[in-house]
Amino acid sequence: MNTQTEIPKSEPLIIMRRTYDAPRAKVWEASTEPHHVKRWWGGPGFTNPVCEMDVRPGGLWHHVMRFPDGHELVMDFVFIEVEPPARLIWQNIDHGRRKGPPPTCKITSTLDEDGGKTHTTMIAEFCSFADRDYALGMGFTGPIAASNDRLVEYLKTL
Amino acid sequence: MPTDTLSATLSALADPTRRGILARLASGDATVSELAEPYDMSLAAVSKHLKVLEHAGLVSRSRESQWRPCHLEAKPLKAATQWLEDYRKFWDRNFDSLAAYLKTMDGDHGRPAKKGRSR
Repeated sequence: MNTQTEIPKSEPLIIMRRTYDAPRAKVWEASTEPHHVKRWWGGPGFTNPVCEMDVRPGGLWHHVMRFPDGHELVMDFVFIEVEPPARLIWQNIDHGRRKGPPPTCKITSTLDEDGGKTHTTMIAEFCSFADRDYALGMGFTGPIAASNDRLVEYLKTL
Repeated sequence: MPTDTLSATLSALADPTRRGILARLASGDATVSELAEPYDMSLAAVSKHLKVLEHAGLVSRSRESQWRPCHLEAKPLKAATQWLEDYRKFWDRNFDSLAAYLKTMDGDHGRPAKKGRSR
């Protein structure tokens, strides 16, 4: 995996870092223009029948992703901060419809240029639990990160 | 898995004593007093932790035996770790896809000629 993932114990975040072999203006363009996003979002085998992005603070991102098996996932976001080509913050809006796993409600994506390459940092902030559950919930990553933990070994056998 | 179930699982897992209890149960069923052995706390305190784990569906207790041994129920654990793993996999795949797409943008910048710039 080329993505570095960090799961801080003290904060309800997942941090992912990735370096692209492209200048950041290009990474920004590929990430914020719907006709580009439609072509890569989801990965191989996925298609994106709908991608409407109004890239400005308060603008909506309405997206439908189709899985390789044909089922579709509707994703609705709102852009919070838009600072091309350095920083993009967006947030889930679920209109109270969401069931299932916890959403990350806010994602901050930062782009740093480094000699024609772009280092990106994506910070996903969880918001689906009550404040109390934030800290508690992420506490469970402790044993998962510890490779010598018996519980972790056990989980692998499941 | 409903969010509230996952939330209960995560809350139950947040406590080091409860994680220790689950780790112990991973190697086999145990009674409350066996579970309490490594800890400097009363049986009542350990029972309280067990109640939380039972409520979260992580531990079940036999009704038949007098000693009511505790048993690890792995399904909710699996669901909690699976969610995180799926999330990481989604983004890893997404980043790979963007990296591959960026390469194809060279030359025409990947923009269809018919579309105007949106910014």
